[in-house]
Amino acid sequence: MKKFLAVFLVLMMFVALMPTAAFADGIRLFNGKIEIAEPLEHAAKAYEEATGKHVEVESLGGGVDLQATLKQYYQAGNMPEIFVFEGAPDLANWTGMVVDMSDQPWAADTDAGFVDESGALVGFPYTTEAIGLAYNKSILEKAGVDPASITGPESMKAAFEAIDAKKDELGITAVIGYCANATELYWSTGQHLFGQYLDAGLDRDDTTYFDLLMEGKLDQDRFTAFAEMVDLFNQYSDPALLVSGNYDLQVSGFAAGKYAFVTQGSWIGSSLTNQYKDQYAAAGNFECGYVPYCFIEGIDTILTNAPSHWAVYKDGNVAEAEEFLNWLAGPDGQQIMVQEAGCVSPFKSCTVVANDPFAAPVSEYAAAGKTSSWHWMGQPSNLAQDVTGAIFQDFAMGLEDVQSFTEAMTDVIADFFK
Amino acid sequence: MTESASGKKTLSMTLLGLGIVLLIAALYFDLTKTSTGLGSMRGAFLVCGALLVLAGVYYIPTVLHHRAIINVIFLFPLLFTFAVTVIIPMFVGFFYSFTDWNGVAFTKMVGFENYAAMFKEPAFIWSLLLTCLFVIVNMILVNLVAFLLALLCTTKIKGVGFFRAAYFLPNLIGGIVLGYIWQFIFSNVLTKILNSPHSALAQTKTAFIAIIVVYVWQYAGYIMLIYINGLATVPKDVLEAAQIDGASDIMTLFKIKIPMIAATFTICTFLTLTSAFKQFDVNLALTNGVGTVRKFMGSRLSNGTQMIALNIYNTAFARDQYGYAQAKAILFFIILACVSLIQVRISNKREVEM
Repeated sequence: MKKFLAVFLVLMMFVALMPTAAFADGIRLFNGKIEIAEPLEHAAKAYEEATGKHVEVESLGGGVDLQATLKQYYQAGNMPEIFVFEGAPDLANWTGMVVDMSDQPWAADTDAGFVDESGALVGFPYTTEAIGLAYNKSILEKAGVDPASITGPESMKAAFEAIDAKKDELGITAVIGYCANATELYWSTGQHLFGQYLDAGLDRDDTTYFDLLMEGKLDQDRFTAFAEMVDLFNQYSDPALLVSGNYDLQVSGFAAGKYAFVTQGSWIGSSLTNQYKDQYAAAGNFECGYVPYCFIEGIDTILTNAPSHWAVYKDGNVAEAEEFLNWLAGPDGQQIMVQEAGCVSPFKSCTVVANDPFAAPVSEYAAAGKTSSWHWMGQPSNLAQDVTGAIFQDFAMGLEDVQSFTEAMTDVIADFFK
Repeated sequence: MTESASGKKTLSMTLLGLGIVLLIAALYFDLTKTSTGLGSMRGAFLVCGALLVLAGVYYIPTVLHHRAIINVIFLFPLLFTFAVTVIIPMFVGFFYSFTDWNGVAFTKMVGFENYAAMFKEPAFIWSLLLTCLFVIVNMILVNLVAFLLALLCTTKIKGVGFFRAAYFLPNLIGGIVLGYIWQFIFSNVLTKILNSPHSALAQTKTAFIAIIVVYVWQYAGYIMLIYINGLATVPKDVLEAAQIDGASDIMTLFKIKIPMIAATFTICTFLTLTSAFKQFDVNLALTNGVGTVRKFMGSRLSNGTQMIALNIYNTAFARDQYGYAQAKAILFFIILACVSLIQVRISNKREVEM
């Protein structure tokens, strides 16, 4: 009897384990931009309706270490078919494991794809983002400052002074919402702002200052000019935000019309129209625009790029993954990506324009050819977090002046690349 | 008798043989990554194979070792789990510390290079020293505060239950959440009250003090409970005898209560020591290690408040140097093991003498 029971139990176990055989259907997309999680899921659903093929969207973000999560998936043999990566340092983890997509139909439709060192097109661009000095058009108009007049350090300073003088009249807290909190916003200062030193005003393929950085050097003249601009931000930023603030405070403050300028890129557009839409409406749904970070007279570009790309994993379901990406790059996919996710389409054939306060100004700069690249994405991933972010914070706290800030930066960067 | 024994033998051998075949098949399918056809049942193969082998071992016709075999079979689930989750990873980790592993693949063995490199890295040395300082300060502060709270909570004041719960509550909040709550307090509340332009978290020294404050606040309640428990075990008759003899409260405390609960002190110092060493979540949430040290071993550091656990974490996850981080972790493990062993030994000695 006991033996029968034992045999029966073993057979039951067989039966119970059988269904595990039947999944691995459809593909998985590992998305690193939590802000567009919902529209992406919607796109996946629309795709399933159109083709009958299932796409599972997994969205992570907001401080989650994406590459570490991916590595865990890899160790567990659970790699998604499509996954996100930011620039060359991330991609270096996956050398030889991603598919060359040069033969895909969408490849001819964009310049924003990620091409690796060997010339293979391994990154699918899903959006374009811009980093410039964002401004609130209605405040600038009321203050009588023409954004087009800001073309260099003197005119920027003049504009800041003019707005500062009318601060109470305009009902703003500070001229600029700049935050150098190294714990939370090291990426804003150490990557995005520092990226202006690397790229502002240069051609898209100009890597002069980036190459210099990778050798552990800073161009003293250019960096000093940059430091003077940061000094200006330190002076005219909201003291409550400058060191002890955080991202939410900064963006909601700008949405509520407390700052005339803000040092964040185009991604805050969707926060303005979704997360902070009440404050934004109360501030009059003002129009936004960009001025270049013109720390040297004549810098006239903003930095645009695909903030991250999607790669296709070689050992997954490659055919279906590529099919989905093609659909996403096509009119139906772009309709959702642009209108719902608020992405600025990197595809030339796309005619849809996003309902986003920053979509128009970004398109204008792009159309005029006044854009520079994001070479900061190639800097070692911990440079900002471990090294430069803290120095921006010290500078903001007044522990450093322009000269000692420049010296400290020069020293730590030399040390870092030693 | 012999018939049944040989029958048993055949049964045992059949089960063992079948089990091993299934296990090998499962392993084969797994290694060749076959997930179609028979390969799709590799999980079932593995489980059934393991069960059959266990059954086969159980039926081995031996009287002499039968007891031992049954003991092992009963222990097997635990031993297996312990091996898979602790022993094997430890050896694998030890192995990785000699490679240049980046979390995905490693290209070469580097020998002791990782171990040599960490002693040349000022940021790591700083983290190590900072952690030691943190441990010493915390071990004293947490125990002191916890013991005083415990004394308070064992007196006959009103609402003792409420106070006990209130002091223990911070321990129920996860470290990350707690870190963010305190970050808000330091950045938004204290700056307004003290009317200071910058948060205490922005400068290395004050940020370090802030971490200590938060840690004591979080941990003292927990240790307090253990002390309360210890104080409750002090026999009433001894205390009464002391009272009749005219001992003051202070004398009772130092001459009777503290010696009687020496064992509790051992546990508490041990707990605070190891947990302070492993401090991670509050550190991550409060400052993420940020803090400027202008000059240390000839370089300027930006990780002034980074404890060793966070340093290891960042080495692995922010810098992608998993092998190097693993080497640091091994050193960390050795330090922790030594300190704990010494500490327990010293404390035990004192207990015996008392």
